[in-house]
Amino acid sequence: MRQDSQWEPKIVGFLCRWCSYAGADLAGTSRKKYPANIRIIKVPCSGRVDPLFVLKALRLGFDGVLVSGCHPGECHYQTGNYYARRRIAITKKLLEYIGIEPQRIQASWVSASEGGKFAQVVTEVTRELKEIGPNELFADQK
Amino acid sequence: MSYLPTKNRDVEQRLRDEAKSLLEQGRVDYVIGFEPGSLKFTTTPLITNNKDDVDHLVINPFIVNNLSVYLTEIKGRVGIIAKGCDSRSIISLIQDKQVVREDIVIMGIPCPGLIDLKKVERLVGKDRDELDNIIRDGDKVVITVDGQGKEYPITEVLYDNCLGCEFPTPQEYDVLLGEPAPLVTDLTASRQKIEMLEGMSQQQRWDFWKDEFSRCIRCYACRNICPACFCERCFVEESEPQWVLPVPRWQDNLIFQVVRNIHVAGRCTDCGECERACPMNIPLRSLARKTYDLVDELFHYKSGTDKEASPLMTAYEQAEAEDFIR
Repeated sequence: MRQDSQWEPKIVGFLCRWCSYAGADLAGTSRKKYPANIRIIKVPCSGRVDPLFVLKALRLGFDGVLVSGCHPGECHYQTGNYYARRRIAITKKLLEYIGIEPQRIQASWVSASEGGKFAQVVTEVTRELKEIGPNELFADQK
Repeated sequence: MSYLPTKNRDVEQRLRDEAKSLLEQGRVDYVIGFEPGSLKFTTTPLITNNKDDVDHLVINPFIVNNLSVYLTEIKGRVGIIAKGCDSRSIISLIQDKQVVREDIVIMGIPCPGLIDLKKVERLVGKDRDELDNIIRDGDKVVITVDGQGKEYPITEVLYDNCLGCEFPTPQEYDVLLGEPAPLVTDLTASRQKIEMLEGMSQQQRWDFWKDEFSRCIRCYACRNICPACFCERCFVEESEPQWVLPVPRWQDNLIFQVVRNIHVAGRCTDCGECERACPMNIPLRSLARKTYDLVDELFHYKSGTDKEASPLMTAYEQAEAEDFIR
């Protein structure tokens, strides 16, 4: 596997508009340091995240996908994050079965007040992705 | 020609009588069942509103199709023949509000398993056209070639998905034709391919599926035959955004199949139709059955066993599947 020292993982983060996005905002306003490897997409709820988004991101060459929403019981729409949890759980397991590293699919619960936790999650995810190397799953263009 | 042992042939007659009376009394507009196919040992779906046609109806170990796929397409009340897995697909459609229970009369058939002709051919080393007859009797199958009958254990010739069957008797029916079926299983044989894959490294598994999906011609037979795939517009046909390319490239074929399996998670009853329909012999059941097992493992949910239950992805438990979340 190609391991050039300049390589930095690219992560796409689907953050729920009510908790995790605000958490990321707080991380910024409180000057928390975290790796600049994440590209954030704001979604109305973690329940909006379709397993197809995850696969499409990997297909486009992102090294990892992070889905982040409100803690269980704190969803703005009451239950959206519970549905997300079921969907992401099955996606992660099935993708592992077909041969995608489980580290490429990440999930977290980050509330609007947890700027520090958001910075920590991104740091950890980036470190794990650096360990497994670049996503070359779909690289074969035949 | 009947492929049933003499003592079981009355089941076919009972089915015909039942279907005829349903049509005559006007309780249903259509009957969906099986009639003999154009080739030996095959059957083909029969959809009719003519009471004279019901005399063609057959029951034998070759009624492979899951007829519930037609339910969403037919307007009116329908009498349908259902094996164990088919009845679960019907329950699943009821859960998803795709069909109304009151509009369907389910003629349940206790299914002792279906015979895979490819396995028979491999077992006796002859083409199906060269066989005189295949008769299943209990846990034995008698295959007659050139007038000579030979007995084999039934587990040698049943479909892989039948060997992993959990509910051979229909879970929902209005009339049950025959006695509840005994369960004939061989879980090791049923899960052989899946276990082989689980034993591989991550890279080997990826290469395996990449290789398999390189053959896919994107004919969508797997999707069209699947009773759980009832979306009016499939995500692969969307053009804005275009999630996958319409041309058969392995990357897009793989995404199509994985997402399709996630969509039918909690609806798939492991009826095996996707793999049977595939003209390129892609082992689709190894994906479908794995999803089925994952659903059970993660959420303790078995598709199509309770028509009152909420569909899998519209329900949740407060505490479940938390271990992977930070």
